Amino acid sequence: MNSGGLVLIVGSLLAAAAAFIWMAVKLENGGGKGKAKGTQQDQLADAAKEDVEHIFNTEFREELRNRGRLHFEKILGENAMFLQQDLRQTTTQLNDYMRAEITRTLQEEFKKYEQSIVDAKQIALDSIEKTVATIEQQRQFLEQQMKSETDAQKDRLIQRFENEMATIVNHYVLQAIGSQIDVADQMDFILAEMQANKQAIVEDIKRGTS
Amino acid sequence: MEHLKLSTTVISPADVARLRRELNGLNDFFVDAQARHTGTAMQLPKLTRILNQLAKDNSVNLLEEADRNRLSEALGAAYEHAPTLHISFASEPSPKAMEKLIVWVRGNIHPQALVQVGLQPTVAVGCFLRTPNMAFDLSLRASLKKSQPQLVKLIDGAINGR
Repeated sequence: MNSGGLVLIVGSLLAAAAAFIWMAVKLENGGGKGKAKGTQQDQLADAAKEDVEHIFNTEFREELRNRGRLHFEKILGENAMFLQQDLRQTTTQLNDYMRAEITRTLQEEFKKYEQSIVDAKQIALDSIEKTVATIEQQRQFLEQQMKSETDAQKDRLIQRFENEMATIVNHYVLQAIGSQIDVADQMDFILAEMQANKQAIVEDIKRGTS
Repeated sequence: MEHLKLSTTVISPADVARLRRELNGLNDFFVDAQARHTGTAMQLPKLTRILNQLAKDNSVNLLEEADRNRLSEALGAAYEHAPTLHISFASEPSPKAMEKLIVWVRGNIHPQALVQVGLQPTVAVGCFLRTPNMAFDLSLRASLKKSQPQLVKLIDGAINGR
């Protein structure tokens, strides 16, 4: 910045200050005229006030009040209607929301309940299957045991029957013909048996007599 | 006497002993007859059919003392040494059955064999024979026991319908 610029700025500032001072003095001098003007304005205000009181009298005010009341009532009615609509809409939405929430909650609960039932059913089925498997195992074991016992008993009976077969058949033969058969009738059988053992008898007698 | 012929009526050692007693009685009778007083009445002894048969079979004159002695000695020998078979039956055998049995025994085992009969109800059918050292179960039960495989086969066939 050169000195010329600086001078220009300082000159501008001084000019502004002088204008400000002039304005202040001018205003100071114009205060007496304002008082006169203020009185005139007060008069005008009073006149206007009086005219206003003439225009806005009681009837007009009552009319305005009625109109205001009606307008207010109208606005209130409209707002009440809007409020009612909003309330109804809100209630509907709330109902829908509640219904949806309740439905969702119920469905979740039902799902949980259903899942619980399914789980319980599965557990019961598993338990039943295990029980059935155990019973089947027990049944097979018992069947095998009974079969082995039966076989053993059968074998024992057969063995005993075979061991005692001669006695049993002899018993039944005696039951059938015991009281009717005489020694004389048996003689052929006896002699045949003796004939079969003749050699042994003879040898034993020879040993006994020698 | 070489070989005493025993009739089928002489079955057991008891019969032999009874014959010996009878012979002894006969000897006593003849001794008494010789020692009797003249004119004394004598009661003639009655001989049993068995002794008569025995005397007849062995050609023995029972009026002769020597024959009687020989017969008595033979009977004593038979009583002492003849093989005796003990046979037990379920019931008392009839004389006819015993005769059949003794004929077979003397024809097949020994000519002077004696048989002592006993009772053993458990035998049921058949008999139980006992020799001096052995015993033979000749009952139906023993016979069935011997043929047990055959019985098993028969029963198996009856059960299975073959």
